[in-house]
Amino acid sequence: MPNEVALNAGETPQLNLPAAENKRLPGDLAMWFFILAELSVFAIFFIGFAVAEQLNVEMFHNAKELLHPTAGLINTLALITSSFFVALSLKKIQLGLNKQTAIYLTIAQCFAIIYVVVKLAEYQFLFDADIDIETNTFFTLYFLITAFHLMHILLGMVILSYMTVQALKNNYQDGYSGFEAGASYWHMVDMLWIILFPLIYII
Amino acid sequence: MKIKNLNIISSWLWLMALTLFAVFIGRVIDNHVAFIITVFFIVFLKGQQIVDVFMELGEAPKKWRWLLLSYVILLPVIISTIYLL
Repeated sequence: MPNEVALNAGETPQLNLPAAENKRLPGDLAMWFFILAELSVFAIFFIGFAVAEQLNVEMFHNAKELLHPTAGLINTLALITSSFFVALSLKKIQLGLNKQTAIYLTIAQCFAIIYVVVKLAEYQFLFDADIDIETNTFFTLYFLITAFHLMHILLGMVILSYMTVQALKNNYQDGYSGFEAGASYWHMVDMLWIILFPLIYII
Repeated sequence: MKIKNLNIISSWLWLMALTLFAVFIGRVIDNHVAFIITVFFIVFLKGQQIVDVFMELGEAPKKWRWLLLSYVILLPVIISTIYLL
């Protein structure tokens, strides 16, 4: 009987399950379906962008020359670092270290702010050069995709702020699946940018 | 737990290095096919780190891990194919 449970009074049940059965999905199922839906929407955008580029090679090449690759690089490093601190904060909340969790989440949000500031500065630079969403196909897609991604960043920052407050209130004492769900959302936003960055700035 | 933190730190350093490498090869590789394949292979490597280490799906049920990994495998393959056609 591999799954036999032997309990003494007051003892927590320990199941001797095989390793594969002990594996669990972090966060809650609804958040993962939401993440999959978001990824699907962005996949359509990315494929659409690539197809449009192949149909307008010269226009896309010239338009990309007007972007600042350094801004894209700074934003990539900022988002990766932000995700890194969120991953660390999850380890802290698992240990019940609420204050350290809040500190890591705050640092993660500081890096997210760097992303937002750089992205807005990039938009302002383009607007100053009389470039907007109607300039050509490239900039229509550029503004559409990056602004949509920026909205996800802003929503993620609200979620991270909420998680920070909840951690400080010691509200993850009974379980941290909500924390895991919020962290997974933030990592998804990071993962999307990792595809977006080479598509717009490098290729 | 310290080992897990070490995984996260090494994953972060790997992601940073891959990002800088992707920018670097964008300036040095002239061959279009090699460039596209390398860039999207880097996207896959970075995505795999995020899925397995940051999202902790490396310790999740396999179907969920592969569902997310398929995104960073299939999407770069589809986009690369579009660019190489």
